[in-house]
Amino acid sequence: MPLPERNHLRQFLLFVFVLLIPCFAVWTVLSARLATPVIGLCNIILSHWFPDIVNVVYQQGADALLMTHFDQVDGLLVPAAEGDAGLGFRLNTRILSYSIPFYAALHFATEKEDYLASFCWGLLWLYTGFLMGLLCLSLKELMVTLGNVFLDQPGVLVPGADAIGIAYQLNILIVPTLGPALIWAWQSRDTPLLRGFIPAQTGSVDA
Amino acid sequence: MARFVIIFLLVLVSLFTIEMQIPVQQKLIEPFTGLLAALSAGLILPFDDSVRAFGKILQFGDTGFAVSIEAGCNGVEATIVLIAAVLAFPASWRDRLIAIVLGFLAVQVMNIVRIVSLFYLGDWNLEVFSWVHLYLWPALIMLDVLIVFIVYLRYLARKSPPADNVAGPGGQHATA
Repeated sequence: MPLPERNHLRQFLLFVFVLLIPCFAVWTVLSARLATPVIGLCNIILSHWFPDIVNVVYQQGADALLMTHFDQVDGLLVPAAEGDAGLGFRLNTRILSYSIPFYAALHFATEKEDYLASFCWGLLWLYTGFLMGLLCLSLKELMVTLGNVFLDQPGVLVPGADAIGIAYQLNILIVPTLGPALIWAWQSRDTPLLRGFIPAQTGSVDA
Repeated sequence: MARFVIIFLLVLVSLFTIEMQIPVQQKLIEPFTGLLAALSAGLILPFDDSVRAFGKILQFGDTGFAVSIEAGCNGVEATIVLIAAVLAFPASWRDRLIAIVLGFLAVQVMNIVRIVSLFYLGDWNLEVFSWVHLYLWPALIMLDVLIVFIVYLRYLARKSPPADNVAGPGGQHATA
């Protein structure tokens, strides 16, 4: 027998809070493995996009290490010597990937017919956001540390400083939490939880 | 649903871009963040005399551990998400205004709980503080926004009960 409308919300809230901690615990253990494909893609994209700036992006635990072709000597940027690792940045991928346990808690707390396939689709979208976030994080670090050396590369399309700033803020502050909520809402639009809340006369009210 | 998503994203990006402007930060966001810090300190001080407050900084007098409440810790981004969702969903302006005001209060109450909890967690264990600060609390704040929005949708649905076939936000979607 289907649950009354009010109980769907109560059940959802209860399950979300129950699932949140185990989902975050599992993610904490797996976060390095979850970041591997994104760091690999980020390395391919950045080292092809800025071949004169970015040397390599590689993984160390749950962090990505972005190494450049530059060194800093007495506060001045100089090309890194042959065999020298160069100036690098440590990027915490967990500030992006925590969208995964949040989405998992929302997804599995909702009463629906199909869990696994829609969860995989949701993950695919989250990984797109994860990659965008890591790229924005890298661009922001390169812009702040290298300044005009990065922004004024001849023959390379580099986003403006304002665009990098806003994209960084959006992708770090908003997307990791909003992304899971939006994907969940879209996938759950036909579930008993959300279906009952949509007003019938939506076209007649002032917008 | 598509109409909702488009309006939501447009309002979200517009408000967020406005929020990032330096004059808005200086004249609105920073004073508001200072007010939040003062409120948090006002809540803690009567119960814990080992705590000191200097502007937007809270500090334990005995251990010396301190937190500074900065832009980004003020719940403004979560409020922007809520405002965008409420404005994107068809409803009367009165209902929208009530939802935004009550939703803002709900987010800020949760945010003060977050600040106080992080202050005590940080004094106990910095590693736990970082984990909860960077990963768990942002998710909980967004969950707060989601719950406020679902409750708002429920309120709207009660005002105009859904028919057997329910129309979605553009009147395009119907389910049995």
